[in-house]
Amino acid sequence: MDCEFVPSVCSYCGTGCGVLFEVIDGRINRTLPLKSHPVNQGKLCIKGWNLHEYINSYMRLKGPLVRENGRLEKATWDEAVNQAARRFTRIKEEHGPDSIGVLVSAKITNEENYLAQKFTRAVIGTNNVDHCARL
Amino acid sequence: MDMVKAAKELLLQDKVDIFLGYRKLDGHQIPHGFTKAHVDDLDQLEISLNRYPLEKIACDLAQKDPALKIGILARDCSQRALNLLYTWDQLNPENIETLTVNCCPSPLSTHGDCSYLTPKPTGDYKKAHGVDYNDSPKDFLANHDSGERLSRWMYEFQKCIKCYGCRNVCPVCFCKECSLEHPNLVEPGVLPAEVPIFHLIRATHMAGRCIDCGLCEDACPAHIPLRMLYREVNDAVSDIFGYVPGDHIEKSPFSIIGKTVELTPAPMDV
Ligand code: SF4
Ligand code: SF4
Ligand code: SF4
Ligand code: SF4
Repeated sequence: MDCEFVPSVCSYCGTGCGVLFEVIDGRINRTLPLKSHPVNQGKLCIKGWNLHEYINSYMRLKGPLVRENGRLEKATWDEAVNQAARRFTRIKEEHGPDSIGVLVSAKITNEENYLAQKFTRAVIGTNNVDHCARL
Repeated sequence: MDMVKAAKELLLQDKVDIFLGYRKLDGHQIPHGFTKAHVDDLDQLEISLNRYPLEKIACDLAQKDPALKIGILARDCSQRALNLLYTWDQLNPENIETLTVNCCPSPLSTHGDCSYLTPKPTGDYKKAHGVDYNDSPKDFLANHDSGERLSRWMYEFQKCIKCYGCRNVCPVCFCKECSLEHPNLVEPGVLPAEVPIFHLIRATHMAGRCIDCGLCEDACPAHIPLRMLYREVNDAVSDIFGYVPGDHIEKSPFSIIGKTVELTPAPMDV
């Protein structure tokens, strides 16, 4: 039996607490607070303590879904991205770029948030971009 | 380092299948399960100033494979936790090998190598209105009447963010169904936490059970002096029943489920 511990960062909110995953035979079994992490110093909120539950949840999405005739169907990344690009382009052409807004998330990295606002401003062409940490 | 040699021997001679200790990864001292297949990893074995509930991890492993032989780097608190887990049938002592290191001062030992050598500082406001981390339960009882004790503990309890960290990290909280999640006792999804009931449930459960490792207090984001609270209840247990949890392999006076036992109470002066 293998048992190792993997330091990581909680993905639930922008605080970014350090966590430690207890991994038994390749599966995350428990989440502990990382005691030596400068942000949370060995403490977590209830969400951080239960990170392993959503990672292991059978409800978790592991691939893209595309809505066809009102039903969500499994799709490849290429299909999903092309479909989204086609529909956004149509909305932009018909109603103008300000008809689209982008909300980004504390669950993604700083760099990904930067890319998202760049995409919103430079590609879509609107300033309608906001972040959940501002709520 | 002798510890490394001893741990390697345990693995190489198949006395244990896995050895739980600490190593440094990405600059953090964290637990690790060392195995025979990667026995040289033990050269990185550390005692670690940060303590994690290795005994709880051992229980996780034993639940997946009850026959697994587990070696543990054991401080004093780990040893007490193991004794308690043996008496509550959570671990089989025949499957556990310990390599012991010196550790924290506690009612059972005065010498320590870990973070407990520096007592936690208690701020002036907490001293005036709450409970001092380092107060002794006996002094606390003697110096404050019951009204003041209640108001001081309520000051502490109402800071609780109901993270359940105290229970989650505790090496002796192993119940499949925890009372703290029972809707008749603690309403799910409701904040702030219902006080003092939330803390008193846990305090009564820690009577005859808490081995005074302090991990709950370390994990509490609200800085509630939980260790002191459970010391208070266990002072009563040792005064009345002469039982100190984890002191040796002896069943708690409260392990009476399914049996008839006679409790011989002694007077309690409060
Ligand atoms: S543990 Fe809680 S406070 Fe910390 S990052 Fe996760 S959600 Fe945020
Ligand atoms: S000190 Fe806290 S974590 Fe340790 S055994 Fe007691 S209740 Fe559990
Ligand atoms: S708080 Fe009580 S019921 Fe919950 S795990 Fe601990 S001992 Fe068991
Ligand atoms: S660790 Fe502290 S804040 Fe969290 S549930 Fe326990 S007492 Fe409340």
